[in-house]
Amino acid sequence: MREVAVAGVGMSKFGRYRDKEYQDLGFEAVVNALGDSGFEWKEIQAVFCSNAYSGMGVGHNIAARIGKSGIPIVNVENACSGGASAFRLCYQSVAMGLYDVCLAIGVEKIPGGLLDDTSWPEHERDMGFNVQPANYALELQRHMYEYGSTIEHVALVTVKNRKNGVLNPYAGFRKEVTVEEVLDSRMIATPLRLLMCCANGDGAAAAVLCNLKELKSKRRLVMVGASVLVSETYGNVKGAGSIRYKNPDRTEIAAEQAYETSGCGPKDMDLVEVYDTMASAELINGEKLGLCAKGEYGPLLERGTFDLGGSLPVNTSGGLMSRRHPLSATGLAQIAEVVWQLRGECGVRQIKGAKVGMCHCLGAGGNCAITILKR
Amino acid sequence: MANSGVSNNAERTGEKNVGLASRGMRMKEDQRKKRIPVKQGLYRIPESENDAPALVANRCRSCGEIFFPARQICQNCQGQDLEDMTLGRSGVIYSFATVMQRPASHYRGPVPYSFGWVELPEGLRIETLFTDCNPDDLEIGLNVEMVMEKLHEDEEGNEVVCHKFRPC
Repeated sequence: MREVAVAGVGMSKFGRYRDKEYQDLGFEAVVNALGDSGFEWKEIQAVFCSNAYSGMGVGHNIAARIGKSGIPIVNVENACSGGASAFRLCYQSVAMGLYDVCLAIGVEKIPGGLLDDTSWPEHERDMGFNVQPANYALELQRHMYEYGSTIEHVALVTVKNRKNGVLNPYAGFRKEVTVEEVLDSRMIATPLRLLMCCANGDGAAAAVLCNLKELKSKRRLVMVGASVLVSETYGNVKGAGSIRYKNPDRTEIAAEQAYETSGCGPKDMDLVEVYDTMASAELINGEKLGLCAKGEYGPLLERGTFDLGGSLPVNTSGGLMSRRHPLSATGLAQIAEVVWQLRGECGVRQIKGAKVGMCHCLGAGGNCAITILKR
Repeated sequence: MANSGVSNNAERTGEKNVGLASRGMRMKEDQRKKRIPVKQGLYRIPESENDAPALVANRCRSCGEIFFPARQICQNCQGQDLEDMTLGRSGVIYSFATVMQRPASHYRGPVPYSFGWVELPEGLRIETLFTDCNPDDLEIGLNVEMVMEKLHEDEEGNEVVCHKFRPC
């Protein structure tokens, strides 16, 4: 296996763009990532482009805005882990020596309101089970019951992330909210309220990965420590399914693999981007990642542990709560944040001396992708 | 489109013969509205109103795992020797949520609605809608029982039914 560097990253500002096509958003992210990497378009040897809602040939259409060079372009759909999955395909292609320079793209343009989660069987969609906030609500109810976490803890995740998002120029929402505003917002699926659920959105993010020996950029070096993707295993089901087995959850399995591959544990992290599609997801998955013991995330939030100035900052970018969630772009946006942090380019939200960072996302299916980056 | 009737439900499950047979029967019968399961094969629906409906599951003869809906191959050990069974009607709420906003597609019932996970004594949890209760009454550990109830009416006026659980 060869060592793989992240040569460059780029994003479009996430938001709602009725006047832009996904090609426009993708183009912007790719041009930014190429510029950041120092590579020319003609040096890119393969493209992996993630998208869930725009049909066929998405990566081809974005690439065609820049040039047609005959390289393989693969369109990747892996729900909310799509961007991280495209990153991983680049990583494994370079690590195995198939290519020296690859481009990962994640792009999405989706309607507002409740997401139409198409990953469920038809009859379960008819019964109304495929409502994302409700499924996270079911998990949260159990967490509150078993570990005593409170709805105020969940609100604190939103408050923290929206505060960080004010400092991120790529975030869709750049306004702080208070605990009271979160707890007074409209109920979506009990006990989750509007401001505890991330907003969908339009946007794109991209990354250029290369063989260490091919690196051109003179920016601070960022290496891939681990790029892990898992699906669920039998008997780890927290909801419907078997209750005989108590196997680890997908986040726990992916974290174990990522820690082993990178040689870094949760205590080595200078910052972590945790998938906060609902505020409760950060709380529950932060614990599964081993950032603290089960039931401890809420009390540590109260003490400011996961704030920008805390001992383990989580979602320094503002997370999905601030950025918005263009599904397939999210994983690469998380990676862009950690790359910028490790290079010391985050300005007012910079974590001083950050050396190791981790990104975590979950996707329908279900899957989990974890990326660990080091400098 | 979902729920346009028996034939579509049958196409979903690949049970084309059953679907065609049902359609044939329907054409012969009178104009009464039919009760159609949300998916073929999920339920044992009794002939008489006095018998209780049941969830149709199956059990792996190799490892003992139970599946609802029934599966062709055991998801745990990949065993292919599975025996059909029906599940009892009683269970306990494992978790619950009440949805306050209409889903983006498919669901055509009333909003708000409550659903969640119910643990059955056979050793599995299933996902289900809740009925006959105030959302505020739902709690983890509550005893519930299964009923077959209307989900919505399809385009032909047939009543599409599914399993729901209610406090007991």
